[in-house]
Amino acid sequence: MNNLSLSLDRFSMGFMVLPESRAAHTPKSDALVTRETDSDEDLLIAVGNRQDRIAFNTLFARFSNRIFAMGMKLTRNEQLAHDLVQEALLMVWQKAPLYDLDRGNAQGWIFTIARNRCFDMLRKARRQPACVSADDIWPLEGESGELSTSGETGFQSVELSQVEQYYGQLPEAQFAVIEQIYVFDRTHEEAAELLKIPLGTLKSRLRLGMEKLRTLVGVEQ
Amino acid sequence: MSAAVMFHPPKHQIQRFVEGELSAGMSVALSAHMEFCADCRRTAGAAEAELVAQWNAKEALQSPADLTGILDAITQQPQERANTPSTPVSRKLVVDDQVISLPRVLAQIASAGLNWKTVSNGIRSAKVDLDTDTTCEFIHMQPGSKAPQHSHRGNEVMLVLDGKFSDEMGEYGASDFVIRDPAHRHQPRTETGCICFSVLDSPLVFTEGWLRLWNPIGLALFQLTRWRRRKLI
Ligand SMILES: [Zn+2]
Repeated sequence: MNNLSLSLDRFSMGFMVLPESRAAHTPKSDALVTRETDSDEDLLIAVGNRQDRIAFNTLFARFSNRIFAMGMKLTRNEQLAHDLVQEALLMVWQKAPLYDLDRGNAQGWIFTIARNRCFDMLRKARRQPACVSADDIWPLEGESGELSTSGETGFQSVELSQVEQYYGQLPEAQFAVIEQIYVFDRTHEEAAELLKIPLGTLKSRLRLGMEKLRTLVGVEQ
Repeated sequence: MSAAVMFHPPKHQIQRFVEGELSAGMSVALSAHMEFCADCRRTAGAAEAELVAQWNAKEALQSPADLTGILDAITQQPQERANTPSTPVSRKLVVDDQVISLPRVLAQIASAGLNWKTVSNGIRSAKVDLDTDTTCEFIHMQPGSKAPQHSHRGNEVMLVLDGKFSDEMGEYGASDFVIRDPAHRHQPRTETGCICFSVLDSPLVFTEGWLRLWNPIGLALFQLTRWRRRKLI
């Protein structure tokens, strides 16, 4: 029920954009109504697979306002925001055959296209050098993953799970002290009181825990 | 030899990056860091999902009615059937007798050629012109070199590409994303040599909030970072 009212909202919002005459010209304007129950993903796939114009009209109605809003926020210029709607939706049409569900939801895919178009448009409008483009900055899914596993590079990142492993290898009593001091930002005195241990014990556990942690990190390096 | 990534862009900055609100220079630095930082990629993914959700909830805006006039024009255009492969650029950067591998976006930028100039004893820089909001440069510090102590009007980001450098706040290794705000006077120095990509933004570009360092990858690593920093001071 909720879904239905949501898509009806979208319909009326999109329909507002269509002037009456235009709606009358569109050969299957009643088909537009039925498409409103389709998901964004189904519509995008229909556009990609069979150049489905009704599906594209529906996407256009759903997204033109959102893209316009993004353009206004990023450019603060109505003309540029207007151009963005046109350019981004042209790109949605052109690239629709490349979309599949592995690329995530349709909204995210369209968002990325609009954001990247906007970035490049704004740079062009401000006459910034063309040596770098949005597609270099926000590479397509998969590209960066491929590179980071290629082994060609000396870079490596520590995953959060690795950090958790470091902590996991600490004796529980030492970890408890480190947690109090560094995670909860308590003073030595507060931590000792909370853990019900003498201050001296706390300090030595802290020192031992830190040494152990340093060894663990050092071993990784 | 690889080192742990210890220093990351703050979450707030990652959000603005995803939104497309950062300058090109700063966006490049974040992109380059993220190529090798799965944690920040995850943060960016979450930020993007949130933005898309907000986007979907947007109230209808009164947009110009003649927008629909372009529908036909668009649907008459041919569609792309395959990704046009981008021309591959070399990832290698040769500095003196050293060969390092660059993040993709920096390789793209460096492919136009770098013009190294001596800045001070043992330190050279190659400026790249990315936008009018930032000053971006590759910096090469020879082993044992020291930058002159300096402060800046804007924020400075140093992305470590190879080697290590340190300043009054700590020591930084490969892929670390180091931010120094205008309040800091600092003096980067290196024992073993270091190659960085540096972005200096104009004070007009970024506003409050940006300065607050908020490590995005969760309490554990944040605290490990702090621990390491304290140890090093
Ligand atoms: Zn990171």
